[in-house]
Amino acid sequence: MALKQRLLYLSAQSTDPRSPAISQALHEPVRGSIVEIDPTRTRLDYETVHDAICDGWRVVHFPDQRGSLEGSEIEVLGYQFVLEKMEQFDD
Amino acid sequence: MTSATGISTENLLNDDQVADFVINGYHIVEPQFPADFHSKVYSELELLPMNPGDDINKAIPKIDQVYEHPAVAGALASLLGSDYTRAAHRHCHKNHPGTRSQAWHQDSLNIPTLDDGHGRVSDHVQSVLVMYYPQHVASNMGPTALIPGSHLFTAAQDRNASHGNFRDQIVAVVPAGSVLILHYDIWHAGTANTSDQIRYMVKYLFERASESTEPSWNHDSSNDAHIFERLERDEAALIQRSLVDKRNFRRTTMWNNLAGNAGLKYEYRDKWSGEWPQPNQ
Repeated sequence: MALKQRLLYLSAQSTDPRSPAISQALHEPVRGSIVEIDPTRTRLDYETVHDAICDGWRVVHFPDQRGSLEGSEIEVLGYQFVLEKMEQFDD
Repeated sequence: MTSATGISTENLLNDDQVADFVINGYHIVEPQFPADFHSKVYSELELLPMNPGDDINKAIPKIDQVYEHPAVAGALASLLGSDYTRAAHRHCHKNHPGTRSQAWHQDSLNIPTLDDGHGRVSDHVQSVLVMYYPQHVASNMGPTALIPGSHLFTAAQDRNASHGNFRDQIVAVVPAGSVLILHYDIWHAGTANTSDQIRYMVKYLFERASESTEPSWNHDSSNDAHIFERLERDEAALIQRSLVDKRNFRRTTMWNNLAGNAGLKYEYRDKWSGEWPQPNQ
């Protein structure tokens, strides 16, 4: 067993962790594991970043506070929080 | 009844359908063909020894019939003008069982060397991707996923790489023969095929040849107030508040670019009068 970092990317509608989540990607610390679009998914695992925090996730990166500035390359949807959970995994 | 260009008006889109496209960036057509038409296309695709690329229509000529079907042509004329043209680029995607999902992307960024070039155009419909599925696509067969309304926004693909699944993503689980018309700038991706069947998707690109002077669809100006309200209020997918005004401006500009002289006129109106809010329960 080894303590490893699970990573959860949650993009929210605003910088408020209680605002609705727009997208999510979960990275498991397992070699060969993949993250991809799941066409059978009908909802995200968490409605908000706060919901994820209540489930034990810890925020390790807060989104940039700057909003939608002018320019062609910056209209990324949502404000991205990165969360972690340290858990024991079999090697 | 036919339009001046010979396309039956019954196959043209109406105001709400064009507004749907402006808001969401996609439109689905199910052209009617004999029962075995699409299975024959599928069989011919199975026999191709290699990917013919742009020549997919020469390898299997009956595919052109799909794109020339009045229901498809009517939708294309509505969105691109009746003098729309077919681009040289075509492609057949063969999605084998076990294929992983693509990353979210805009095709308009992928083909920088086409003669006519393709910058992203967030306030007009200059080009559309038209995807034809010759077989039923179930949710485990690698359906095309898209983010409705995302054609209005630009971003570098690598800045969107960490998104994964979107709350409001749409997945094209469609019957055989369906034709999915996409704004060229919509963020989309092929998804994982976890079934035991090959999923084919044939893609053509169509382009606008001239600017609109009048609506090329079944337009009724008495719908203008209703359309204006839809362009301002309809949600396609949840986005940050700071993009909503930009989104609405681009929607209205796109509609007006399509409508030519029949564009919407902005008039101030009081949107906030009405019932007092009710006390919290």
